[in-house]
Amino acid sequence: MRRVALAAILLAAIVVRADEIEVRDVALRQVEEGLALDADFAFELTPRLAEVVANGVPLYFRVEFELARRRWYWFDDIAAAKRMHLRLSYHALSRQYRLSTGSLQQSFPTLEEALNVLKRVRNWLVVEREVRLADADYDAAVRMRLDTALLPKPFQLSALTGRDLQLESPWKRFIMRPTP
Amino acid sequence: MKWLLIVGGVVAAVGLFLLATASADTALFARHYPLLLGLNAALAALLAALVGTQLVLLARRHRARVFGARITLRLLVRFAALAVVPGLIVYAVSVQFLTRSIESWFDVKVDAALEGGLNLGQQVMEQMTQDLQAKANAMALELAEPSQPQLARQLERLRAQLGVEEAVLVSASGRLVASAAQDVTRLVPELPGSQALRQARLQRSYSVVDAAVGRPLSLRVVVPVELATEARFLQVRQSVPASFARSAEAVEAAYRDYRELAISRDGLKRIYIVTLTFALLMALFVAVAVAATQSGLLAEPLANLAQATQAVARGDFSRRAPVTSRDELGVLTESFNSMTRQLDEARRGVESNRVALEAAKVRLENILANLSAGVLVFDHELGLSISNHGAAAILGGELEGFAAQMRAHFAEQGDQNWQLELQLKGTGKTLHARGARLPQATGGGAVVVFDDITRLIQAQRATAWAEVARRLAHEIKNPLTPIQLSAERLEMKLGERLAREDAETLRRGTETIVNQVTALKAMVDDFRDYARLPAPEPAPLDLNQLVRQVLVLYENSTAPIAKDLAEPLPLVWADGAQIRQVIHNLVQNAQDALEHRGERGARPAIEVRTELAGDRVRLAVSDNGGGFPEELMARIFEPYVTTKPRGTGLGLAIVKKIVDEHHGAVTIENRPSRGASVSVLLPLAKAA
Repeated sequence: MRRVALAAILLAAIVVRADEIEVRDVALRQVEEGLALDADFAFELTPRLAEVVANGVPLYFRVEFELARRRWYWFDDIAAAKRMHLRLSYHALSRQYRLSTGSLQQSFPTLEEALNVLKRVRNWLVVEREVRLADADYDAAVRMRLDTALLPKPFQLSALTGRDLQLESPWKRFIMRPTP
Repeated sequence: MKWLLIVGGVVAAVGLFLLATASADTALFARHYPLLLGLNAALAALLAALVGTQLVLLARRHRARVFGARITLRLLVRFAALAVVPGLIVYAVSVQFLTRSIESWFDVKVDAALEGGLNLGQQVMEQMTQDLQAKANAMALELAEPSQPQLARQLERLRAQLGVEEAVLVSASGRLVASAAQDVTRLVPELPGSQALRQARLQRSYSVVDAAVGRPLSLRVVVPVELATEARFLQVRQSVPASFARSAEAVEAAYRDYRELAISRDGLKRIYIVTLTFALLMALFVAVAVAATQSGLLAEPLANLAQATQAVARGDFSRRAPVTSRDELGVLTESFNSMTRQLDEARRGVESNRVALEAAKVRLENILANLSAGVLVFDHELGLSISNHGAAAILGGELEGFAAQMRAHFAEQGDQNWQLELQLKGTGKTLHARGARLPQATGGGAVVVFDDITRLIQAQRATAWAEVARRLAHEIKNPLTPIQLSAERLEMKLGERLAREDAETLRRGTETIVNQVTALKAMVDDFRDYARLPAPEPAPLDLNQLVRQVLVLYENSTAPIAKDLAEPLPLVWADGAQIRQVIHNLVQNAQDALEHRGERGARPAIEVRTELAGDRVRLAVSDNGGGFPEELMARIFEPYVTTKPRGTGLGLAIVKKIVDEHHGAVTIENRPSRGASVSVLLPLAKAA
């Protein structure tokens, strides 16, 4: 596999708060199918969220990626926009935490282990090989957030008013220049 | 505004319905709940803004003391109170009830039961796992025996013997060595992961419950198989009985739902309270808005009526208050309108009467003004109130004196009507006056109507003189000729027989008789001429030429005659012979006047003048003689009125008669310096 080095520049310093996700390391790799994203996120579940998930309510995390080329004369040219849903739930009968992405499902005996996997995104194909990229600088952006819209209704109202059910990272942006 | 309110209310109701539906746990709305919430909040804000606007408008009108604003405000407050107070009560009760009932769901007993059920399931699973572990250990012991050529068959035997669903033997690195399964359709068994192998190696055992979605609940145990040569791992799998799995899952699901509700009860309460609050707010706003509209509707006809009343007070009867409803207010407005209409009609009637009266008055005044007769109206205290043009024309400056005379006459006569003929002192005009008392019903007073009958009397005199002349001619002239003949015969017969002295006396007497008879005859002829003056035969006539012809005859007169003839002078419509007579008479009069004057003063002079005066021609003959005496002025044209010591006095009478028959006019005046002037106005030929 030919590894291609990609420049990643942090654009803004991020102040990490208790209910905020920090995007630690982001890298785009050239793989056979196209471009794959590796990213590490750092966060702690708030006590309220831990309570919610321990009581069997599933939490939905959403990882979003966007690749766009700036154009001063027109709207930005969005080359790729992907999102991935991660579902974290607790199965009381088997006392296991489950993490599922699409059809893939994993079980973990502890919340800690499940979160460790959740925080690490590996080998996520974000740009297919068919997508033609121009020879120019692209803005890449990544973020992860708890999708409160998928929480049960009573929590949604709390999520609107309080911060203890909110968990999200700002967009982490870096410049990418595709190599021919 | 009204339609905005209705639409707002309907939209708010729909939003509220959706919110309530969403609150009642429908999956469809769950995703869009925040959106729905925001929408409702926006609607509530919109309604609040509408209501606020209306209230502010109303407050402004109330402050500006617009009529109807106060009653609108009062109705609004009452309506709003009617809607708001029950709404608030229901709201308070609902909120209280809701919080209590939601709390009551989370019963300790239910909690314990559900938790117990779950624990039970968990314990049963643990028990099953332990059983499976024991079986796996037993199998591992058997498999640990060395030299087993038919590993797969033995594994199958052991699996069947111990009643395990699936058994897999893997190497230490995780590669499949042998497998056996109850379900032969499953060709590829699921191999244990590296994590499981590591844990099995370390803790001599690894067990897990597989609870993947869509697959039956199953237990899996991995144990190491201690062979002399190498380490192997045995994984056995056993499905949980379906009925148990179902029950356990049901309990788990119920427990999960229960826990979900339990930890989100605050949120739940908040949802219901928010929904209720929105419902209350919208109901209140709609109620207030409806109240505002309704009160406005109620107050509007009143305000209209008030405006119409003010208009009527200002005298504008044309304003009609619009009838907006069919209720008592409508009837009231209708009655007001009909009242206004009647007032309007009555006023119009009065107005037209007044106009008619004024017209009649103007007409009467016109008639009075154009009346040639003089009219004087006195009020009940006999003060002069009305005098017409005729009166002023006849009386001139003597109006006051005449009025005083009339007043005295009225006082003398009392309520009797009277007639009176009198002569004015100044101008000597003869007036015929009739006085009458006005009826007391019209305010009393008196009226005098009088005519200038001077001309009438003159005409009567002229007629009388003509009659006298005719008689004189007839009765006097006939005996004159025998008298003259008799006198002459007496002289012829007796003259020779008488003595010279007597004969002389007779001759003189006869001569006197003849002379006097001749004179008398001439006088009688004059009278006859005057009486028998023929009707003129007018034709276009050059007046200047006629004047020159006549004046030729007077070239040797004692007083020089000056001619002042305007050239060119239009032709007049007159009888040449009669006008010739007029000129002769006037010139002879002038000569007589100068002769009679004697030698006093300046040289005698006569002037004959012709000129155009408007649409007539004036012929004026003036002298510098003695002029006419004032007392004769009024009667100067009558026959036998003369200033001369001798003469018949018929000259001016004939002039007057001729000119009158020519539709002309004749005036005499005394000149301011000396002498008199007589003017004759004759009509133009083209005008006749």
